Amino acid sequence: MVKAVPGVLVKCDPSIKALILNLDKEFGNQYVIEDLGDEEHLLVKNDRIQELKRRVQEEISKRIETKLDEEE
Amino acid sequence: MSASSFQALDYLEQLPVQTHRKLYEQPSTVLAIFRCMLPHLAKSIVMALLYMPAPFPAADLDAWFRTDSTQTKRGAMFILEKLHITVQKQDDARTLSYELYPSFASSLRQALEGSGSHRSFGVPSHKSEDKRVSVEFLDSYSQRQWENILFYLVGGTVGFRNAGGQDIGTGTKNLLQMAGFFHHGMITREGFTFVLRDTNAQVWSLLVAYLRNAPQLSMSETDILNFLFMLGSLELGQDYSTATLSATQLQMLEDLAEFGIIYRSHKAASTFYPTRLAVTLTSDAGALSQGAGSATGGGSTQKGFIIIETNYRLYAYTNSLLQIAILSLFTHMRTRFPNLVTGKITRRSIGRAISYGITSAQIIEYLDTHAHPQMQKTKPFLPPTVMDQIRLWEYERERMETTQGYLMREFPSEMMYKEYVQYAKDNGVLVWQNDKLRMFFVDSFEVVMAKVKRDKERTQARTMR
Repeated sequence: MVKAVPGVLVKCDPSIKALILNLDKEFGNQYVIEDLGDEEHLLVKNDRIQELKRRVQEEISKRIETKLDEEE
Repeated sequence: MSASSFQALDYLEQLPVQTHRKLYEQPSTVLAIFRCMLPHLAKSIVMALLYMPAPFPAADLDAWFRTDSTQTKRGAMFILEKLHITVQKQDDARTLSYELYPSFASSLRQALEGSGSHRSFGVPSHKSEDKRVSVEFLDSYSQRQWENILFYLVGGTVGFRNAGGQDIGTGTKNLLQMAGFFHHGMITREGFTFVLRDTNAQVWSLLVAYLRNAPQLSMSETDILNFLFMLGSLELGQDYSTATLSATQLQMLEDLAEFGIIYRSHKAASTFYPTRLAVTLTSDAGALSQGAGSATGGGSTQKGFIIIETNYRLYAYTNSLLQIAILSLFTHMRTRFPNLVTGKITRRSIGRAISYGITSAQIIEYLDTHAHPQMQKTKPFLPPTVMDQIRLWEYERERMETTQGYLMREFPSEMMYKEYVQYAKDNGVLVWQNDKLRMFFVDSFEVVMAKVKRDKERTQARTMR
């Protein structure tokens, strides 16, 4: 019979998706409910999405931390 | 139908049948719902059914619509059923027919004909003319109160609280917190959306939050809604007696006075005045912006005062603290003159705004609606480079797009999957689909659930036969 799974649909670039899947593996599948087949979508647990967003942001800024802020 | 009544409609839709039934006993409520909550097609259907002596066969209703508009018809009927305005009936011959819910019909008739002695449209007090408060006074009062609330939200985040208007009450503060507009002294994304909306929509979103909070304060939702809908039908500049109000409604008077929706000369006054915020509750006319001609409160709702150059410098001709506070949410402010503030939009200032949960689209929309007439001579109003850069700065931080909802999966057959996807698409809840895996994602579960339930009943009925 039909099932309805509550969660948050995440749409992102393939690169970010790979990053999320990596993070998920690293933290023992805490975030992702399911990898949705295509390159850009994922289903994530409702209560974990904020934490995941923060982690992804941390990872990105770690990688592309540019010091060329233009503020005077 | 304006965007603001959508919020109220959303709220109304999720109320249980019992509440709907109670609401429909008040002619003013029924008239307000009819006037501003229903889409035009639904209005026509209600009007057609209103004076019909017997239930109206569904087949006859279908005959009124061209085949290519069935989807619009279905949408209208869906809303009517959700609000329990129409009732489906089945007679012995198994033909389906529709009928208005009896008390809804009789209340609407009363409202239209002015019959009955229900007093639901407010009782004007009979005070002598010279004691009355003027409309200009009411306008400036409501504007001041309302801007105080907005300023509290914005000012706290950018760190100039109490510089201008007086502080707002604890009740209102809690309400803003509860509504999710304000969190740990910071404005949230919802809060920013709230601040950027037009006044009428702002009032409704605050009132919806108020309604959600009502049961905790042991106030009756029905009384609140009835009162709000009644306010919408009152006349500006007239004072009304508080004698016919219930305990909940008397309690509300105090809160509404603080929002600037009504005015009372003192706390124990036996009368109240609705302000422009109140009387426009159930109409599409803009509340404060339209009234700005007569309003005097600081002149901050003026349109078009921002100039942006392609070098990201921003000049805003305003002296309103509220506007300056909003601007400094996403601008690096530099100087302030009596009638002008200047600043620059930078990567860091946008980044800070994004971290509060404000989106680039919101920022651009704000700048666009308030662009100086001089800027409005070109199209688009804003320099494209600036718009693009704001979006890129956001994209740098927000790399994920998220939607909360439900993943529907494990459909037993291709046919059933297709049917459900189509249904979800028709009702506008489909977010994503993958035909290969037979899965799709919806942002509202109830709509799909309604169909699941209906299908189940149908198959059960079939097996029983």
